[in-house]
Amino acid sequence: MSRKKTSKSKAGSVPAASALPSPNGARPARPGTARSGHEAPPNGPQQRGRPSLGGGGDFYDVAFKVMLVGDSGVGKTCLLVRFKDGAFLAGTFISTVGIDFRNKVLDVDGMKVKLQIWDTAGQERFRSVTHAYYRDAHALLLLYDVTNKASFDNIQAWLTEIQEYAQDDVVLMLLGNKVDSAQERVVKREDGEKLAKEYGLPYMETSAKTGLNVDLAFTAIAKELKQRTMKAPSEPHFRLHDYVKQEGRGASCCQS
Amino acid sequence: MRRAERSPAPPACGLRVDPYGFERPEDFDYAAYDEFLSAYLAVLTRRALKWSRLLQGDSGLRRTATVKRYIRKGVPLEHRARVWLAVSGAQAQMEQNPGYYQRLLRGERNPELEEAIRTDLSRTFPDNVRFRKMAQPCLQKALSDVLLAYGLHNPGVGYCQGMNFIAGYLILITKSEEESFWLLDALIGRILPDYYGPAMLGLKTDQEVLAELVRVKLPAVAALLDGHGVLWTLVVSRWFICLFVDILPVEISVLQTVLRIWDCLFNEGSKIIFRVALTLIKQHEAFILEATGVPDICDKFRQITRGSFVVECHTFMQKIFSHPGSLSMTTITRLRESCRAALLAQR
Repeated sequence: MSRKKTSKSKAGSVPAASALPSPNGARPARPGTARSGHEAPPNGPQQRGRPSLGGGGDFYDVAFKVMLVGDSGVGKTCLLVRFKDGAFLAGTFISTVGIDFRNKVLDVDGMKVKLQIWDTAGQERFRSVTHAYYRDAHALLLLYDVTNKASFDNIQAWLTEIQEYAQDDVVLMLLGNKVDSAQERVVKREDGEKLAKEYGLPYMETSAKTGLNVDLAFTAIAKELKQRTMKAPSEPHFRLHDYVKQEGRGASCCQS
Repeated sequence: MRRAERSPAPPACGLRVDPYGFERPEDFDYAAYDEFLSAYLAVLTRRALKWSRLLQGDSGLRRTATVKRYIRKGVPLEHRARVWLAVSGAQAQMEQNPGYYQRLLRGERNPELEEAIRTDLSRTFPDNVRFRKMAQPCLQKALSDVLLAYGLHNPGVGYCQGMNFIAGYLILITKSEEESFWLLDALIGRILPDYYGPAMLGLKTDQEVLAELVRVKLPAVAALLDGHGVLWTLVVSRWFICLFVDILPVEISVLQTVLRIWDCLFNEGSKIIFRVALTLIKQHEAFILEATGVPDICDKFRQITRGSFVVECHTFMQKIFSHPGSLSMTTITRLRESCRAALLAQR
């Protein structure tokens, strides 16, 4: 987790991602819940949250919950901080213990989409602590480190975990991180592509250090989630796989 | 505030890096804490005198009521390692097992364990100059050895993230790998329930125990969290796993909140964690109740671990023994049993 302080300005102005939408943007009479057994579809997005309290300026039209998962040390926190603050945490961050989150509001085709991004500890034993949160996630970014073969080999175990605890329709994307470390790379791009194809997942290689494809990964997720919610028949159908392939191409030409 | 015999602040107060390598936050407001700092330095001086006298006496460090009272008021830095070792039983273990620590490091290797530890070496106290790669000596090596030896000593636990902060902190205080190892063993093997094992059952249990205590002592806060479906893991798991290191002020020379908590933890056991948690929540009850959603609740739980209430460690430590009201070990044991049974039934 980053050592930076969370912005205080946002405190008091952020409605719960799991809160049910309520008329006139008023405070929900019955808050949503992260617990199992609740009737409300936990995967339903929150719409038109217009917080009336506080001056954080954190306005958005729709909010989604995204989780970062993958082995310890693959760069989940760094990816999040790169996306959130545009900075790379070189040697100034600590191991994430437990679970944490940050918000970022994106403009997606004229709509304000708030992503509430949950960062999790990667060590296997923490899964039993963090998987309770999978259920509410609208999207999962599953990371491995291209310089760490074990983190790639563990992807299948992560997928099993996700299958068991996440919603069936969760948006899932596979990311091979740390591609800036070309010298130390041990997982080839093709290996990642092959695995992604096998499981039908959109796939990208990223670098939290250089920023390569980081915004793209989150934007793609936001577009997919927005499209699923809005369902405007006139709009052309957004295809996550195609989008990622098309936009992420810049990545492959930077290799070698 | 406290009656302040104004003593001049030592140079350590004006430096951004304390002698133990911790940097004070850039925005640390010295003026705001001037009164506390000078008063606390007077406390430290007074306690140091009393402790010197105590340790010179014949009764030494037996766990008497006097020692307990003294420890609650803070162990002087120069005696801290000795006192922790004595009251936790680590000293006795170390004496009964001479050379054991070194033998562990020379023994059979475990690549998986080594890899798990290596991942966290540069992610432990990156703000502390003594843990940086350029430091001479760099404490990452000592940290790696202590964690490795512990993982080999207790294969049932191995290495769990969070132990890196605890071991690192012990190394800074004791300046000895072997003493850090035995203190880590005292914490993980005896003082704390199973927080760090693969199932983390002790951690999950104690989170539920805290939830139950809050339900009884601070029902409005419990209702807020329960109403929003906030699992206690989300807001307090790091408190338990890291024993407040990197959550409350960790600095060693003056802002000693975590050290003062650990003084009592080694002497009185894991109950102290509940006292600290309940005190933080109770002190900030009204503030927490302003929260309107899940992210807001999380933010508030982060904010209550900062600011003057926790910086002024001497008053804080007095409050943890008065604020939460009675908290008997019988109650904790009973709650642990029922929460543990409930968790096992859920599986």
